[in-house]
Amino acid sequence: MTTTASSAAALAQQDQGGRKAVGFIGWILSPERRGPLLVAPAIVTLFVVNIFPLLWSFGLSFYEYKANRIAPPAFAGLANYRYVLTDPEIWVRFGNTAMIVVGSVALQLVVGFLLALLFAQEFPLRRYLLMLILSPMMLSLSAVGVFFKLFYDPTLGFISRFISLFTTDTFVILSTPARATIAVVVADAWMWSPFVMLLVLAGLVSVPKYLYEAAEIDRAGRWRRFRTITFPYIRSLLLLALLFRTIETFKIFDIVYLLTEGGPGSSTETVSVYVYRLAFQFFRTSQASALGYIMVFAVVVLTSLYLYAIQTRQTEARA
Amino acid sequence: MSERREVRAIGKAGWGRTLGAGIVSLIYFFPVYFILMTAFKTRPDALAMPIKFFFSPTLENFYSVFWRADIQGGGATDSGFSLYFFNSLFISGTSVTLALIIGTAAAYAFSRFPLRGNDTYLFIILTTRMLPPIIAIIPIFVLFRVFGLSGSYTGIIALYTAFNLPFSIWMVKSFFDDLDRDIEDAGRMDGSSEWNVFRKVCLPQIYGGLAATFVFAVILTWNEFLFALMLTGTETRTVPVAIARTIGGQVGVDWGLMSAIETLFIIPVVIVTFLLQNQLLRGVTFGTIRK
Amino acid sequence: MDEIRLEKVTKRFGDLLAVDQADLAVGKGEVMCLLGPSGCGKTTMLRMIAGLEWATSGDIWIGGARVNDRPARERNVAMTFQFYALYPSLSVEDNLAYPLHAENLSRAEIAERVAQVSEALDLKPILKRRPHQLGEGEKQRVAVGRSIVREPTCFLFDEPLSRLDIQLRQTMRTQIKEILTKLDKPTVIVTHDQIEALTMADRIAVMQLGKVEQVASPHDLFSKPTNLFVASFIGTPQMNLLPAALAEVGPREPDGCAPARFSLLGETISARVGEGVARLERGAKVTIGIRPRSFEFANGAGSDALHAAVDLIEPMGAEMLVHLVEQGVDMRCVVPSGTHISVGDRVSVRCKSGQLHVFDGAGKLVG
Repeated sequence: MTTTASSAAALAQQDQGGRKAVGFIGWILSPERRGPLLVAPAIVTLFVVNIFPLLWSFGLSFYEYKANRIAPPAFAGLANYRYVLTDPEIWVRFGNTAMIVVGSVALQLVVGFLLALLFAQEFPLRRYLLMLILSPMMLSLSAVGVFFKLFYDPTLGFISRFISLFTTDTFVILSTPARATIAVVVADAWMWSPFVMLLVLAGLVSVPKYLYEAAEIDRAGRWRRFRTITFPYIRSLLLLALLFRTIETFKIFDIVYLLTEGGPGSSTETVSVYVYRLAFQFFRTSQASALGYIMVFAVVVLTSLYLYAIQTRQTEARA
Repeated sequence: MSERREVRAIGKAGWGRTLGAGIVSLIYFFPVYFILMTAFKTRPDALAMPIKFFFSPTLENFYSVFWRADIQGGGATDSGFSLYFFNSLFISGTSVTLALIIGTAAAYAFSRFPLRGNDTYLFIILTTRMLPPIIAIIPIFVLFRVFGLSGSYTGIIALYTAFNLPFSIWMVKSFFDDLDRDIEDAGRMDGSSEWNVFRKVCLPQIYGGLAATFVFAVILTWNEFLFALMLTGTETRTVPVAIARTIGGQVGVDWGLMSAIETLFIIPVVIVTFLLQNQLLRGVTFGTIRK
Repeated sequence: MDEIRLEKVTKRFGDLLAVDQADLAVGKGEVMCLLGPSGCGKTTMLRMIAGLEWATSGDIWIGGARVNDRPARERNVAMTFQFYALYPSLSVEDNLAYPLHAENLSRAEIAERVAQVSEALDLKPILKRRPHQLGEGEKQRVAVGRSIVREPTCFLFDEPLSRLDIQLRQTMRTQIKEILTKLDKPTVIVTHDQIEALTMADRIAVMQLGKVEQVASPHDLFSKPTNLFVASFIGTPQMNLLPAALAEVGPREPDGCAPARFSLLGETISARVGEGVARLERGAKVTIGIRPRSFEFANGAGSDALHAAVDLIEPMGAEMLVHLVEQGVDMRCVVPSGTHISVGDRVSVRCKSGQLHVFDGAGKLVG
């Protein structure tokens, strides 16, 4: 107590402004307390609103519970997890999700990369064209879902009509599982490719000019320049984009729900949508929790990879 | 100096590039253009196939956003969308402001006074952001019921505050990390208290960053669908939920109306993106990447 | 034949005139230094020789061919950059081998050349490392190595030693000079450090604001600077520049010099100066330049001595830098350490014979 009091007094003496407040604030901001105290409100909020419910539902996943019944939860151990992991329905959803994630992320990386190459140099009107390309990211997810549904409509949608120019009769996009999956992939990739473009562009621009000059003096060809100078710089950013979009696409809900509702049948039903259905349509609450936690596990693994990639990028950027 | 606000580039290309990029951009932009166009079309025009590019524009859709009857609901004269827009604004604004205040304090601590478990905390905070919202929905839904927060402002604002915290912390921390420590040390040596160093040295330098974070966070919250769907009631409904509800059925979707709503909705986003181009990368990657 | 030649080369960046009608000639095997303060255009000139900038006007010749329109890759020049420009994703070995891929060499030949260079620059222990794992000195050696692994028409260096600490600088200076002498190709080095220039160059081109002020050997620059700028830029401590007026000049003598008398600092001193002084009028305002080490103590009231008061004494190890002041004019002179002298003393100093420089009103050397 004495040390705190004397340090507060010392601060009060030194300070050149706000003399009255400094006593209490000085106490709060004293070296031992500062860090933890400033962080506390954030941690508390996160804990109460996010973490506590998560822990609660984690606990719930070990019980048998249905939200629409009055019966209290009965302890079930790993039964839910066992059920979830062996249920073929679940694996179908994992498969669907995997296809959508792989398809969309791959498409985003390719399109984003090409767009970045297109916009790498300064040219007239670049600013405005860049805004056009960035516009899909600004739409709300629900709008994308809703409108792409229109675009894919066989009679009213311009995408369907455009495709049917090349096929014999009207092309119903959402009719088969394969087509529906592609439809979702295209909508999602369209929306997020600009994101990848931004990242790759950031990489392209961060290459120091003198490296290209040295390569020019060393008479290196264009492909060589790309391979040895440009690509290493964007490699880490591409990895970040890959991981980030994978995490996000893995959780995909809105677009799928609004575009296909998981159909036809359950061919585009992703894990997120299934969890939602389990919880709110079938009221198999505890199973939904278990499945949800398997997702959480996957996301945690991916996020640690992501953090690792960030740190690698930061050390590289400093070199 | 014209580079300051723009996404940077390397080297120069001529009008040939503009032509190529222009074609690509216009194709890419087309769906968005469709939405914008449809907002100004009359009902029959909106659904005409092949697409009508030339039409007489009308503002009736925008008018009916605010004053027509809710399509699914009863015959009220106020469509309720002015309420929904207000809700979106109010809920997003308040929660982001709260998140920024709490988050800035935490970010300052993470940046300047590293705790022993810093990396762990940051990892947990980042993970919270990355988690599937689905998993939190169930317990939160139940909790809200239990505490009677369903459909109230308090509940959803508290929730969104927590949602915006990870983003705010990462963004603002990245801003603090980029500051030049020497100025702060000079302030400390001149006898300023920590509070003053924070208030007069650090904070003013990141006002721009705080503004950018505020705006990005508002846009994210604005667009949020799932939790709003579950946890807002008739009085507190936000626009994304309202959009989804108006297209409940297949038949009778008023696309003109839909487009008008979406157009109004993305105008702020567009303006902001244009103004914050140099912060764009940081915002879009939640503060984890910066040039 | 001159290997590198610049004729009336000018470079403009928009409104900014970076290089103004510069002429330069570098002979085979000669090391030429471009020396000058920041913004004098030396780096721009180097980059024009390299082909990284186009000349606005004038001609650039390398190896007898006019290269104005050729991009850098076609000029076959080697350049060491100020920031080394090592390829970060490649190992030291691959960095060294990089330029050789453009020539049709077999893998074995490439490996052999790389081995030779790493031997010469003591890079063998770090061949497998990446640039970000190297220290400044090592990076510098790799950058130099990358230049010498080829057979270019000339070598260009942009401030090669500026990022090294003093000791490293001295070591590398000698090493580079050795290598350059062995390779016997025209070399242009850009530097703002005159010690570097004076020790490494065969000739130095002193530049200011885009103009080449003087091109001469280090010795000539030191003893016969053509104008005030060169005189004050070269030599540490800086030459003393004293405002004076020509009192009278005597007849020209057989060896081309003439006796003259000047009034400065309230004294009249006589000196033997070059014939250019004879063209000046009596009473013309001149600047007299005397280097700090050109002073010697005069005993008593010698007719050629200046009298001044000691203002400050700075020990410099084996020597002392003495600041003198008289009539508001500061002078510096260098004396051996043991000299008995203290602040406040009045001393008489005189310029040693033949070491007095006279500059006319326009700043040009006249005698």
